Amino acid sequence: MKFDLSILAKHIPFLLEGAWLTLQACTLAVIGSLVLGLAVGAMRTSASPLLNRLAAVYVDIFRNIPFIVQLFFFYFGLPEIGIYIDAFTTGVVALSIAGGAFTSDVIRSGILAIDPGVIEAAQVSGLKKSTIFRRIILPIALRASIRPLGSVFVNLILTSSILSTITLNELTGSAKIVASNTFRPFEVYFVLLVAYAALTYTVSILIGMLHRHLNRHQAEGAV
Amino acid sequence: MISVSGVRKSFGAATVLNGVDLEIRQGEVVSVLGSSGSGKSTLIRCINGLEKIDAGKITVDNFDVSKPRELSEARKRSGTVFQLFNLYPHMTAVQNVALAPVEVLKVPRKQAEAEARELLKSVGLSDRADAYPSQLSGGQRQRVGICRALAMKPSYLLLDEVTSALDPEMTSEVLSILAKLAKGGTTMVFVTHEIEFARSISTRIAFLDKGTLIADLPTEEFFSDKGMALPRVAQFLSKMRKD
Repeated sequence: MKFDLSILAKHIPFLLEGAWLTLQACTLAVIGSLVLGLAVGAMRTSASPLLNRLAAVYVDIFRNIPFIVQLFFFYFGLPEIGIYIDAFTTGVVALSIAGGAFTSDVIRSGILAIDPGVIEAAQVSGLKKSTIFRRIILPIALRASIRPLGSVFVNLILTSSILSTITLNELTGSAKIVASNTFRPFEVYFVLLVAYAALTYTVSILIGMLHRHLNRHQAEGAV
Repeated sequence: MISVSGVRKSFGAATVLNGVDLEIRQGEVVSVLGSSGSGKSTLIRCINGLEKIDAGKITVDNFDVSKPRELSEARKRSGTVFQLFNLYPHMTAVQNVALAPVEVLKVPRKQAEAEARELLKSVGLSDRADAYPSQLSGGQRQRVGICRALAMKPSYLLLDEVTSALDPEMTSEVLSILAKLAKGGTTMVFVTHEIEFARSISTRIAFLDKGTLIADLPTEEFFSDKGMALPRVAQFLSKMRKD
């Protein structure tokens, strides 16, 4: 067998469409899981035992079930009880919920790592709880969490390939189609491999830049 | 007036404050002395509501700190400076100082930042106003901490061992600012180990021993025969002077 990428030339627009879909789904899921993770992370560090418990149950459930099972439940299971959601929305929601469980854990440790004295200083100066969360806790926790969040997001991108199992022709899905049409799985999956590596590597680099930018003043060994 | 009456506080089995009564009126500088573990810092933390008291009552200008509604009013009237500075690490000196005036007193941001710069200038930090805490020395951080407390224009300044984490040179730069404030009429509750300094700026000395206030005397009396007549005080002073 000869390794020949040129035979893929006419399939490039189709593959790019798939890549674009992956990009859209991942962007939305990153935002979704971040929002969810912030809310749940805050709940897990709150003084209310009820919120705390609820958040812990959510995290435990979604971290301990294979993503593909969650996805099948949403896409093939829910219609049985009359809930129909299109494949793209299902994919984004499922990725956000699953990602949110991991994101919340990272945010939670970021919050717990904050020097309690800093929060006390904010309390005695009369700031409201919500203001303390918005202006002190969140910015400090996020700065400390950028790198671990990056790993969660990279994982989320890798996991998005599973969306191909619910008829979504994202990058992996469209590659599967091209592979079966051309009978050239070696070349097709080689390209797929490179595409995912490039995508996640770019995200890692961006995360590193963001981390350095946000922490540029903390470098000199703060107290 | 800050009024502390019959205050008790325990952490588990350890009684830290055992029925403390203390009043601080406007214009007074009250230094709270005592050996480590005598409850000095806990007293401050009870006044600003960071610790809940087990019994007794603390009011700041008649606002009861144990009632959540009144606590916020009480906190507006007192400013706290901490031993370990506790600056917001992600904000510049100016932002640290201006945050509470903007968020709590609703001062327009520009005005609050201009006032913050003035305050920082008054403690000799005009050229460090845009630096982050990690870029400042300990003494500079504590001066920012003092400005942050003063920015709320508090009636009372609570100082919790503010020089304990500083070397002698930095200590003197912070103490000279406190001396200036005391001379200017700022009411202060000063928890400290700096005995000679406490003597020079205080109008009164309160002495805590194992959670009990065993002396509450005008400064001259405390350091005269009257204070020395108390065995614990005499022992404490002679030990501190030897060190």
